Amino acid sequence: MTGFESFVGINPWTALFTFCNMLITFSVLKHFLFEPVKKMIDDRQNEIDTMYADADAAKQKAAALETEYQAHLQSIKDERDAMLREATRRAQKREEEIVGEAKTEAANIRAAAEADIAQERKKAVNDLKNEIGGMAVEIAGKVVEREIKQQDHQALIDEFIQNVGDAS
Amino acid sequence: MNGPKIYWTLPLGITITQTTVASFVVMVLLCTAAVVLGRNLEKRPGRRQVLVEKGVTMLYDMVGDTMGKHNLYWAPYMGALFLSSVCGSFIGMTGIFRSATADLSTTATWAIMTSLLCWGCSIKRNGIGGWLKGFTEPVVVMTPMNLVSEIAQPLSMAFRHFGNIAGGSVLTSLVYTALATCSALLLGLVGKSVVIGAAVLVIGIALLVAGVKNKKLAKKIFGIVFIATGALSLLGLTGVPYLEVGIPGILSLYFDVFSGGVQALVFSLLTMVYVGNACPPPEEV
Repeated sequence: MTGFESFVGINPWTALFTFCNMLITFSVLKHFLFEPVKKMIDDRQNEIDTMYADADAAKQKAAALETEYQAHLQSIKDERDAMLREATRRAQKREEEIVGEAKTEAANIRAAAEADIAQERKKAVNDLKNEIGGMAVEIAGKVVEREIKQQDHQALIDEFIQNVGDAS
Repeated sequence: MNGPKIYWTLPLGITITQTTVASFVVMVLLCTAAVVLGRNLEKRPGRRQVLVEKGVTMLYDMVGDTMGKHNLYWAPYMGALFLSSVCGSFIGMTGIFRSATADLSTTATWAIMTSLLCWGCSIKRNGIGGWLKGFTEPVVVMTPMNLVSEIAQPLSMAFRHFGNIAGGSVLTSLVYTALATCSALLLGLVGKSVVIGAAVLVIGIALLVAGVKNKKLAKKIFGIVFIATGALSLLGLTGVPYLEVGIPGILSLYFDVFSGGVQALVFSLLTMVYVGNACPPPEEV
């Protein structure tokens, strides 16, 4: 039978078919289009978020490492400076010690030399005394033309020389 | 004005009408498109996938804005409803099928589905007692009003959508009839004597030439109309409804494309709002 339905009216069978069609369309669209596409979009978004988060973390880590290395470097510099200062200080101390030692030694040597000189001088004076004494006896002997016993006049001669020595 | 044509009547009084066929075709088209477009999704999308993703993102954004983020799982239903409505309206433009939405059975079914979803949400949230108690709020006196509004809601949705699409097709067919009458009248008048026909033809050619020279669209159009009138009357083809060319196209642009799109949008937006109201955010429960 063919014919027309009323313009404004509800056919229950058409409504039922429409309902079923709507359900099928909904399920198919949901299962094959909306959910996979949405999942893909979300996955991509997550991936991008993860990548950005990773990048940020890496950046922060790098910054932290840089700070650490800077601190490390600074501490090494400080240590080096301290060592240098210490070494300089010790070297100066050592230098002073060495100079001091040298001065002391020089002073010692000088003192010894002076003592030597004094002794030599005394010896030389004594020798001269003896010689002059002998010469005086000889001259006196020749002057008086008689032998003067050395032993007898030794005391006299010594006194003379003593006087000469004191005078010289 | 007739409703949808009944093709067959099966046993038990099951009728297969133009609407049944159209809605079936829409379903098949949408499902095929969904399977084709939803295949081979990749992390690095091609042009097709970018478009599909754009559409899906727009849908989810709209559902999220209208219904709230907690109701995003409704997006597939809203998308299916919108697409079914748009295609159900646009399929009338093919000339082979009658618009599925120009039948009250279709729009009423969808509207009732919307109401059922709202009620289902309310019952799921508050229980049947809570749902029934909702009708007596804010005061008991309002109960009849609430009942009326609950019934008026699907009725208004159904008739709004149906009326716009069906009214559009009625208007279009009225315009077609009017234009056919006009052209017959005009050709009858001009065709009374060969001299008038020839004169109209000459005026038409002159107008067309002037229009082409001065680049005036109106002159060109009128020239063509005059030429057609003159030529048809000279040839004695007075039954040709030549005025039906052009004008109905512009009307169709409004009644079918614009109205179909807007009504689909309105229908799915209203569904979103009603269902969204029935499913408030979990914190408010």
